[in-house]
Amino acid sequence: MNVDIKASQMKKSSVFLIFFCFFLFFCLSGGRAQEVASNRECQKCHSNPNLKKNLPDGKVISEYVDFELFYRSVHKKQACVYCHIDATNFPCKNLQKVNCQRCHYKGNLAGAPDINKYKEYSESVHGRALALGDVKAPMCQDCHGSHYIFDKADTLSRTNKENIPQTCGICHLNIYTVYEASVHGEALRKEHILAAPSCIDCHGEHDIKEHTDPKSSVFLTRVSATCAKCHANMELIKKYNIPVEPVETYKESFHGVAIKFGATTVANCTSCHGSHAIFKMDDPRSSIYKDNIPKTCGKCHPGASQNFARGRIHVNPAKKEAGIIYYVSRFFKYLTMTVMLSLIIYIILDLRKKIIVRRKGEE
Amino acid sequence: MEEQITVMRFTRSQRVQHFLLLISFIILIITGLALKYHDSWLGKLIINLEGGIIARGLFHRFAAVLLIITAFYHFLYITFTRYGHDEFLSVLPEWKDFKDAFQSVKYALGLSSEHPQVDKYAPQDKFQYWAVVAGSLVMIATGLILWYQNQAMIILPKWIIDITQVVHGYQGVIIAVVILLWHLYIVHLSPKRFPMSRIWIDGKISLEELKAEHPLEYERRYKSISNEEK
Repeated sequence: MNVDIKASQMKKSSVFLIFFCFFLFFCLSGGRAQEVASNRECQKCHSNPNLKKNLPDGKVISEYVDFELFYRSVHKKQACVYCHIDATNFPCKNLQKVNCQRCHYKGNLAGAPDINKYKEYSESVHGRALALGDVKAPMCQDCHGSHYIFDKADTLSRTNKENIPQTCGICHLNIYTVYEASVHGEALRKEHILAAPSCIDCHGEHDIKEHTDPKSSVFLTRVSATCAKCHANMELIKKYNIPVEPVETYKESFHGVAIKFGATTVANCTSCHGSHAIFKMDDPRSSIYKDNIPKTCGKCHPGASQNFARGRIHVNPAKKEAGIIYYVSRFFKYLTMTVMLSLIIYIILDLRKKIIVRRKGEE
Repeated sequence: MEEQITVMRFTRSQRVQHFLLLISFIILIITGLALKYHDSWLGKLIINLEGGIIARGLFHRFAAVLLIITAFYHFLYITFTRYGHDEFLSVLPEWKDFKDAFQSVKYALGLSSEHPQVDKYAPQDKFQYWAVVAGSLVMIATGLILWYQNQAMIILPKWIIDITQVVHGYQGVIIAVVILLWHLYIVHLSPKRFPMSRIWIDGKISLEELKAEHPLEYERRYKSISNEEK
């Protein structure tokens, strides 16, 4: 009896011990054992560089995943099936595109950063194209990458400043090649000047609009303000020796004033300097190179000749560099002041005399 | 009120010319200064009241055409009408005007008790007339260059256009200053004439005022008449 009791007690404690061990194992592994196992399942096939898939339209796409790179990405701790939720059976066929919003929303419990950009994206040119059924319209993963997403400070990231042009260039190839040759593209690519604009610095990121949309940062009435973000920024101007006057003189010119009051037929920065093909003025490729000025101005001013290049374009009459324009404006400034002053003196003297005469008359 | 004997100082044609000039000047100055001072709240307000920058330009050019027509009309008037030509001759500056102007200054400063004896047009009247003529010609010339700048730049380089713009802007300010401070003071705020001299409407001046302000003209033309009436 005693032995029986002892035996049953031992049985109980060993059962408890086994459960306790399982519990401990689960606690320590935090459920990761299952993930890793799951990723291992996927890796069996998808770490094969030759894994390909034939699409119905005849295209062949690679289904290879570089797991080494994946385990360095921001999603390194996530299991494949967390995103590919429909990969439940083997072999996993016809998987849907991954929906990032499954984790990245405000208040999610997975600890994924809240990316509050969906609304901006849905109102953007890309989001609206997608909503209208354009299969070419980019979704999150087209710009950010799918398996290899890195922090944008990481040079591996597709959204790293120096990689942005290539990322946009996947679809916008023509503009990409033009931009890469431009003064901005060269500054970023060759000289690694991170202050130089990539695509998104002018066009915006998630909220990109068509250039014909009045809300777009590159809409004809707003693009000058976009250029001014850098070209009127004293810190950048000093650091990179950017000419400082253009923005101010443009604002004061007829073009600048007219556009400020909503005129849409006058020149903005890009009308003369180009939008993607911007070059320095001593570069023969530049639209503002001396010999190209008649053609550039001629877009709006029919019959424009070399006369348009005789004189400075961004001229500030208040600065000595303006030459004769400065002296003429100085002359008129003092003339106006003299006229005003002498007329005021005239009025005071005349009034004084008239009052004296009247008093005498009253006496 | 006492009945005043009045005589004609400005004919109807002259009053019409003055009225056309007045209308065009007011529109030109308001629309022009709004553009020059577009950064101020008043400039912004006026440009918006005018219906935007494009409409502002149309108003300005409409008034400019009116000014050009008036100037042309005035040119025909002083060239081809007998009275207009006589008036033009009497407004030509002469040596006496400088002496009279000097005398006026002395009188105003209290250095002399004698008011200069002037005919129909006192030195300041002549000066204002010639200022309007010169100012209008400069404004019309520079304005036309800016209006037809595409055509102008076939002959003129860019820097001339820049100077033209500076001159047109400042000249406009000077004209506005002269009219506001001088002309409006004389015809509105000057103690004798406040709130407004009616001469620009009916062209008439009282015999009394004529005698005080233009003694030579009075003597030349009306002395005998007023003596008879007395």
